[in-house]
Amino acid sequence: MFPADLYLLMPELALAGMAIIVILADLVLKRRDLLAPLSLIGLAVPVALSIVLWLKLDSIDPHALSGFSGFFVVDYFSLFFKFLILGATALVIMASRESVTRFSRFQGEYYALIMMASGGMMLMAAATELVSIYVALELSALSTVALIALLKNSRSIEASMKFLILSAISSAVMLYGMALVFGLTGSTRLLDIADRLTSVSELIDQPALLLGVIFIITGFGFKISSVPFQMWVPDVYEGAPTPVAAYLSVASKAAGFAVIIRVFFLAFGSLTDEWALLFAVLAAVSMFIGNLVAIAQKNIKRMLGYSTIAHAGFIMVGLAAIGREGELLGPGVESILFYLVAYAATNLGAFIAVIAISSKINSELIDDYAGVARRNPFLAFALAVSLVSLMGLPPTAGFWAKLNVFNAAIETDLVWLALIGMINSVISAYFYLRVIKTMYLSPPASEERITADLPLKAALAIAVIGLLFIGIVPGFVMDVVETAVGTLA
Amino acid sequence: MPEQYSLEYTAVLIITIAGIGMVLAAFFASMILAPRSKSEAKQIPYECGIPPTGQFWAQLHLRYYIFAILFLIFDIEAIFLFPWAIIFRSSGAVIFYEMVLFIAILFFGLVYSWKKGALRWR
Amino acid sequence: MTTVLVFFFILGGMALLGSVGTVASRNVVHAALSLVLALLAVAGLFILLLAEFLAIVQVLIYGGAITIILLFALMLTRTREGPVRLDNAQRRFALIGAGAAFAVLTVVIMVSDWPAPIDNPVRPGFSRISEVLFQQWAIPFEAASLVLLVALIGAIVISRPEKGERD
Repeated sequence: MFPADLYLLMPELALAGMAIIVILADLVLKRRDLLAPLSLIGLAVPVALSIVLWLKLDSIDPHALSGFSGFFVVDYFSLFFKFLILGATALVIMASRESVTRFSRFQGEYYALIMMASGGMMLMAAATELVSIYVALELSALSTVALIALLKNSRSIEASMKFLILSAISSAVMLYGMALVFGLTGSTRLLDIADRLTSVSELIDQPALLLGVIFIITGFGFKISSVPFQMWVPDVYEGAPTPVAAYLSVASKAAGFAVIIRVFFLAFGSLTDEWALLFAVLAAVSMFIGNLVAIAQKNIKRMLGYSTIAHAGFIMVGLAAIGREGELLGPGVESILFYLVAYAATNLGAFIAVIAISSKINSELIDDYAGVARRNPFLAFALAVSLVSLMGLPPTAGFWAKLNVFNAAIETDLVWLALIGMINSVISAYFYLRVIKTMYLSPPASEERITADLPLKAALAIAVIGLLFIGIVPGFVMDVVETAVGTLA
Repeated sequence: MPEQYSLEYTAVLIITIAGIGMVLAAFFASMILAPRSKSEAKQIPYECGIPPTGQFWAQLHLRYYIFAILFLIFDIEAIFLFPWAIIFRSSGAVIFYEMVLFIAILFFGLVYSWKKGALRWR
Repeated sequence: MTTVLVFFFILGGMALLGSVGTVASRNVVHAALSLVLALLAVAGLFILLLAEFLAIVQVLIYGGAITIILLFALMLTRTREGPVRLDNAQRRFALIGAGAAFAVLTVVIMVSDWPAPIDNPVRPGFSRISEVLFQQWAIPFEAASLVLLVALIGAIVISRPEKGERD
């Protein structure tokens, strides 16, 4: 029951508590210099608590603790996503020290909101009930709306309003879908829904169920920026503070996929053929639109925005590969989790380098990146390695990520989808390589050195070392991923 | 009416109809009783006798929007108090402290907006 | 059942009237007031379904607070002299889209077999709702307070002036 189960959600509670403490530190103590270290401590506490929970799981069988009348579950899967989200948040916070000075009056809010958003995302990964999922999703979405608006110029406010309205519409559609599913199955608990769908055979054939599933995909599709819910991405990435865009592209996507896997595996396992086909089509379209439109971009943040749409497509290939297997667990889910880790390291590397370079050269245009390699070899190298990883070339994490996803697709007879994925990898090489070429081969506009502060460099180094480590020794992450997926069923 | 609808709704219905009826009656009465004459002066907004300045539509400053948001947030808080009020005595201390936490979090929001100066009416 | 049906049609008609008024009226204030009519009619429909708590929420939150926010927002906007055009050339597409969505939803809902038919609603009872809300849904409930807190912070972040312009 309620109070006794609270220890299951200690990481999330600690994070929310620390977010409030951060605001208080800004408001009462007025010690701006304390905010970043305090937030990092605030992230370390939930990490420690999650480790404790992980160790506890090791000692019990089955390795899952369900609580709050089956609304939330602590298993390796949810803990895996907690670590991923907390890690991404920590890197973003480390890298945003200089960007934060632009939010003059709202520095405490920046840290607090990003922690609240992470708390919401961690709840999303742990929730096994539709209303809880919805509330967690809104917590992260509303925090994000405020984060996007922090620059307070017209671009940033416009991006924030676009995000708010589109997120509200997609939530409304998703709620409608949840209502349809609830009306048919009489429960919002994922496991109960699954039970009803298998025990009452005529439910499966109801058109309302299919419509409900499609509507639910709308809500989640918005989170992971899949086509056709991707319209907000380029504008928001361009208008939002760069660290926020970095955060959105990694953490929000991870949480979105966690929820999708949870909901579609647990609740709609008996409808796999339908939703797998849907995800296959969405994956193909997302890859094409993301990559083709990215070619035309002149602004590097917009380009990374379209690139993130394309990568949502690549990850969805793994989703499509889940369903066709007939059985629920398999290489499809593992490839998604692996991809999310690899993508987190890779995309954070790219974005952190962009934060450092763009704030110094005062431009986000790719053309202005000319000769950055001479002005700061480390930043240029880090960005180049990250872009190579986004392309999917060895020896980086991106290579194994794509290989796993395409492998899963081929194993489940989705050869056409794997082929589309490979074609798209080739297309994407064009615009990623163009940035590298500009940085290394074009003459610099000035010889002045680009400098970056120490925490940012550390975060960048962690991301780059991480993506190279995964690229060279993929086995380590693969083992963790297999453990995480093992408790899903 | 089927029996699961409680009889009290009849009272609600009567009050609703009576309320609408009274408003309509007032309009109707003024339509037949009031003398009417047309003039330009009647089209301008009334400003206690002096000639009106500016437009009839006063634009508020954006900072007042925060009051509307605060109202909405505490309205939502209030609505949760209703179901809580009828069971917190019978259902144990946990439910009591649940609401305390809920209100504490929102109270923190109030303190925050106060410290931020969002409540200054200037 | 017929009495209920009569009330259903009256309330449904009111909701429809209000909704059409919201999108079709030329004056923004009239549009907002039409919305109130639609929202209150929906509250009435909730009562017909014996969902009384929802009806109270609908009246207090939607009929009250949301409407006030809407009207407030209208007063924050600058108005020009003369009638304001509230729609644009995409009106036709919006109509087609809304019509299509309505058609699909209606057909799907009519065709599907619903396990719990709505012509015989059961009153869940206020205390039952309370127990379920505060025992089973305790965590989503507390998370909702965080959502509200974040919304408040967000509203202040967006609407407060920057350092330069003193308030």
